Parts: sequence; C-alpha cells; structure tokens
Amino acid sequence: MQVRSDPDPVSPTLRATSAWARADARLADAIDDLFLAEDARLDDRLRATVTQTLSALVAQIEADLRRHAARVLVGIGDIARAEAMLERGDVFARLARAGLLRDVDLIDELLARVRVDVMADALPTAITTPDAPSFLVRLTLVPDTIVAKAASALLAAQNRRRAANEAGGVEPSALPAEVQHRLVWRVAAALRAGDDPDTDRAIAQAALRSLAAYDEGDRPESVAMRLALAIDARAEELAPLLIETLGDRSLTLFAAVLAHALAMDHDQLRAMVVEPEGERLWLALRAVSLDRTAMAQVALSLSEADPRRDIEAFAERLDDLAAVPADEAAAALAPFALDRDFRAGVAALARSEWR
Amino acid sequence: MKAPDPMIHAAVAHATVDAEGRLVAADPAIAALNRRAGGGERAAVAVPALATVARLARRLGIVVSRGIVVADEEHDLQLWVRAQPEGDAVRLAVSGWQERRATRLPQTSRGEADFLVAGADWRWETDAALRLTFVSIDAGARHGFDALAMLGEPLTRLFVLGDDGDLPILDALARRRAFEAQPAAVRGSGTNVILSASVRHDSKGAFAGFVGAVTPAAPPVPAASPLSQGFTLGLDRALRRPLGRIIGHADSINAQADGPVVPAYADYAADIASAGRHLLGLVDDLVDMQAIERPDFAPPAERIDLTDVARRAAGILRVRASDSGVRIAAPETGAMLLAVGDFRRALQILVNLVGNAVRYAPVGSTVAVTVRPAGAFVEASVADAGKGIASADQARMFDKFARVDVSEPGGNGLGLYISRRLARAMGGDLIVASAPGEGARFTLTLPSPNPARGEDQ
Repeated sequence: MQVRSDPDPVSPTLRATSAWARADARLADAIDDLFLAEDARLDDRLRATVTQTLSALVAQIEADLRRHAARVLVGIGDIARAEAMLERGDVFARLARAGLLRDVDLIDELLARVRVDVMADALPTAITTPDAPSFLVRLTLVPDTIVAKAASALLAAQNRRRAANEAGGVEPSALPAEVQHRLVWRVAAALRAGDDPDTDRAIAQAALRSLAAYDEGDRPESVAMRLALAIDARAEELAPLLIETLGDRSLTLFAAVLAHALAMDHDQLRAMVVEPEGERLWLALRAVSLDRTAMAQVALSLSEADPRRDIEAFAERLDDLAAVPADEAAAALAPFALDRDFRAGVAALARSEWR
Repeated sequence: MKAPDPMIHAAVAHATVDAEGRLVAADPAIAALNRRAGGGERAAVAVPALATVARLARRLGIVVSRGIVVADEEHDLQLWVRAQPEGDAVRLAVSGWQERRATRLPQTSRGEADFLVAGADWRWETDAALRLTFVSIDAGARHGFDALAMLGEPLTRLFVLGDDGDLPILDALARRRAFEAQPAAVRGSGTNVILSASVRHDSKGAFAGFVGAVTPAAPPVPAASPLSQGFTLGLDRALRRPLGRIIGHADSINAQADGPVVPAYADYAADIASAGRHLLGLVDDLVDMQAIERPDFAPPAERIDLTDVARRAAGILRVRASDSGVRIAAPETGAMLLAVGDFRRALQILVNLVGNAVRYAPVGSTVAVTVRPAGAFVEASVADAGKGIASADQARMFDKFARVDVSEPGGNGLGLYISRRLARAMGGDLIVASAPGEGARFTLTLPSPNPARGEDQ
C-alpha cells in the first residue's frame, strides 16, 4: 500500500494533526478487519481476483473513452487537449477515493461472477458415456438449430470470459446493462480535469459510443438463458438436465436452466447457487420437484467444488428438505421471482431498516 | 501428479457395510486394512475415511466416488472409493492401493496443469471425445483461424498431428495419456508448434479430456553461435540474483519457516524452487556454452592426475548418490595416471557424467568410475546399471538441447553437449557405449603426456 504524505508547505501542527487522523482511521479499519464475521471474510483468491477484475474493467473503459475522446478533440483541431486526454491518469484511485466503486450492484455482480468461475473450475467432470462429446458440445450437434446455435454461442461466450480471465482482463460487455451504464459515466466523470466544454463534449461522445457498442446479450449469463429457453425442458427432463450441466462444469447453464424453470432472473439463481448454506437452492430444487436422489447429486457436486459447504450437515437434513412440497417451496421463493426493479426497491428498503 | 486411475490399478477390492456401519463382508485387502486399523469382523468400519464415505453414500442415497488417504502402519495409502447404496447397506469398491508420495497431495492434477499452462504460449482443452472445449482467442488472430468457431470441433481440425512419422502423439491421444514436446502444425497457417497436454479425469477416474499447451517450435539453430558474449553475460548478470532470491524465498515457504502454510502452497513453493534451480543451471550452461563455442577457445593444457579428478568427482556426488540409494565406486587413493588437459574442465565433465549416472542408476546399484591407459590416451569411464540408451538416442544425445527422455525431471540438454565440446577442445573425446536394459558407459579420453608408453610414471 502506498502511504501518501502531505505537501511540504504546511505547518508542523497541521501535519501532526493529519498524521494522527490517518493513524486513527487506519486503526478503525484494522478493528473492522479483526472483527469481521468469518462467513463474510473473503478468501485471498477471491479478494485478489475481484480486485483485479474491477481494475481491469475500469482500465478498459478508461482506455476506450480516452482513445475516442482524443479522436473527437483531434477532429476539432485541438491537438494539445487530445494529447492530454491520452495520458493515463489515476481514474481508478479517484473513483475508489470517492467511494464510487463501492457500488452494491457492481460488487455483487463481480463477487458472484468470480465465485461461479472458481466453483465451475473446481467442479468434478462427470463422464456418462466413455469417449462421448461433452454435454455442451453434444448440444451443438443436435438437429434443432436453435438449440445448436445457442449452445455454440454459450461455448464461445464462456471461452471469451475464460480467455479474458486468464489474461488478467475482462471480456467486452462484462457487466449487466444498468451496472455497465453507471460505471461508464462514472469513469467519464473521473476523466475530467477541470471545466472545459470541448473536453466534456468529447468525453460524453466517447461514453455514448462505448455504451452503444455494449451488448448485454453477449454475456455468458444471457446466452445461457437463451439456451435454457431453447431447450425449454419438460418437468421430467429437468433433473437429468441439471445434473448433466454440473457434470459438464457449466454452472452458468445450471443456473440458467433452473432460472428458466422457475421464471426467475439468472442473477437470482446464481446468488442461490453460490450461497454456501444452499438454503434457497434446496427450495428452488424442490420447487421444480427434484427428488431426493437428484438433490443429493447436486449437493454432492457443489460440495466438491466449494470447500465452504458442509455435505454432512446437508445429509443430516436431506430427508426433511426432500419432503418439502413443491408448491410450498415455490411460494417461499415467490419474492425472488418479482420484477428486478421491484426487488431492488425491496432490498434497498430492507437494508436501510436493518441499520 | 496423476489422479489414481482405476483402470491402471486394476485391483479392485469389494466390501459391504450394513446399515449400522459394520463391515459385513470384505475382500482380503479391505479386511486386512480394517484389521490393521484396529477393526474386526462384523464390527464398525475402523478406517475413518472409509466409514465416512460409506455413511455419506447411505445418507444421500446416491453413489459417492472419491479419493481418500488412509494411514496404514508406516505408510499412507491412496485409495479410490466408490460407495453404492443398496437398500440399507452400502457396497464399496476400493481401488488405487498406491502408497502416497510424502510431499504430494492426493487426487488432483491441478498443479500439473498449472505448471503446463505457465510455460505455454497459448492453450486448448478437449472433452473425452477429443472435441475442443477451449481455445485461446488471441492465438486465432495470430495463426489465422477463428478460435470460437473451433469450439466443439475435433482437435484435428486445429492441428495437423503426427507428420514426418511422428507417431507418439497419435498413440498418446488414442490411449488418452499425457504427452509432452510433440511436434505438430497449426492447420491453416501451417506454423510448426510443440504440443503438450495433461489428462483431466472425472470423479470416477475415467478420461474426461486433455488440458493442452502450445509452444512455438524452436527455429533450427544456425551453425554459427547465435549468442553474443554480451548477451550471455547480460543474461548471467540479470538472472543470477533474482533467481537466487526466488529459490531462497520458495525454499523458506516450503520449509514453512515463517509459520504454517496450506500444504498445496508448500508444494507449489517446492516446485518453484526446483524450477528456479533448473533455470540457474541453464544460465550457468549458457554462459559456459558461449565460452566454449568461441573459435579461439583453448583450455590450458597441463599435466593432471585423472584418477585424482575421478575421485573428486565421485566425492562431490557421494551425498546425492547415497540419498538415492546408489553407491559410487571410485579409483583407490594412491593410484595415479597422468593426462594432459585442464583440471577444472576435466572435473566438470566427470561431475556431469557421474551426476547423470546417479540419476539413472537403480536403487541399490553401483556407479563405477574407473581410469585406465589406452595407447596414446588415458580413459576415465563412468558406468551405471540404469535402463540404458537406445542406439538412435546415443547419436543425438550429444546435440545441443537434446534430451533423450523429456519426461525425466532435471537436465536441460546442454550437459553432454558441453562435456563433449570440452573433451574435444582438450584433444580428447567423450563417447558412450550402451544398450537398452544394460546400463550405459560414458568414456572420457584425454591425451597421455607420454604417448610412447601411455603408462603412468
């Protein structure tokens, strides 16, 4: 961590006071860290990956905006401002200091995405027939062209995300639309270096162009939902389908199939999938009438992919969980199937009332 | 590190555990294991990890299949357990039965795959049907194919395999085995590349696909030395200190000097340290190679006692040999045979030869170092009882960067090249005599100072 020191021409008293304030703030942070609930503490890998993804996101948007804004400025003959625009600044640090990266939706999205990637990577592969193509590859070969095309698109979208992850970057159109929208405008704001109408116009044009190029439909989550819709599994097909997606290590498709069956959003199901206790996921599985055996198979696979899960505790409760009637389970999950904005409002209200 | 593969370790032992967790029927291997753990017939399963898997399968009502490690007297056994509920009982099938290597974690090939990936230029993965499930996207741009369009296609759509009679790769693919350093070409651009891959297993140990890496094929080495002296010296200066620090830190993480670390991290640290040492050895060899490839390279020609050189080489490697359970027989003290050459270089050659011999010698065998006159020359021979070298390999093993068995750890393919260059620069030679299964004998010859008799004086 870099330690900032104040500029020199300041009175010693003031310097001493601000040093004391910094030490005090550091102590407060350390106390928060010490007493952080164990289940809220991020492990090192998750923390590092989320931080890296966030800074890569900001850097990518920043580079995009700077390049285009500079081109706009060159277009109006303002070479000096264009060159200044191309010099990288401290956008990430500025946004972080201003607290603008502490965006609940943004961090929620990144945490869930990284958790799903880590879990999917650790899921055990399951081979049903020796030497047969894997599940998604098989789907690309089926005669139903809508399913085959959606399966190819999912293979490609997952490949794009993995390739970007491994290169320490992010794929284009990484975030949900609202979050991407907000982040682009915030980065745009952080690019300003004083009031200058020409520069502001150039930055705004660049931001609009960046948003126009964004396509939420390219995200693996969206593509998986399209595929789930194309498959449109019948009730009795759901259990084997869900187990096949896990055996193919496609957690995104697992969540999509379940989300489609329950008429929920993908992000809702994904949140249930990464919860280590699994309470809501077990209800979701019951809501689509999965039986005891299928529930056990899902739980066993997920427990192998996520060391936080307690399969023994699950086994203890399996009989009770499997006995929950499907309509009761569906009723319990009904609030999560509400319109996204309605849910956001409910959640925001609940958050403020807990405080 | 491989996942225990039930197909390789065919010995599968069966047992039945009843609803109360008692071992009611067991093949001898499981019964014996259970007895050694303090259990008895028709009593609760005494091997805790085995009991846990059986109980979990019964409670979940599904097949549970996983690797476990159990303490068995002085050893740790690595087992693969498949527990299948049958009514209230659970039927166990236990395979693997390998002793666990002390410093390794069981049942994951992740470390191996990570290592493979670290050195790769770009990557690919397949499913069990050898259809591509992942391809690095930027590789497509460089080699003129659409990486995303390759997904779901057979591996052979991407690579031309097994050209110029190179069958090992096809064999490895057919047998679903890991492979390394296999030449291939990218279909489309025709670029020559080197392929390596590790195997991914599913939870039952069946083949689930390859995790592959691609590195560019090395361009043919030009006849003239491609390394300028400045480059090599710069390399030496730039790498020696950082590598030393990497090795030092990795060793201290592995030794858990600053407190306990997760075992997997300690293993990674050991891998880092050993890779670092390998790189440091390579830097030494490159600096050496640069020196001896200069046209004016001429080591000093002095009278040296070759038996003394042989004894010293044996002495340097005695500890490593005894760690590997190998004995070194060196010339007796007092014997003396003069040759003409550079003491330091002759010692370097013999240390290299004895080191190789110790690496390949089977446990309990002896590496024999002998010195004798041979006409106008004096010979020092190093013989081992290892697996020997095929005659085709004997011809190329003295080439630059040649490695006979790339699956062997250590070695960068420069040691024998440098040794032979040195021997010839001193007016002598380095030759090998070997047959598969009959060990190998490397002989260093140096001119005798007294060619008329070739005897000691």
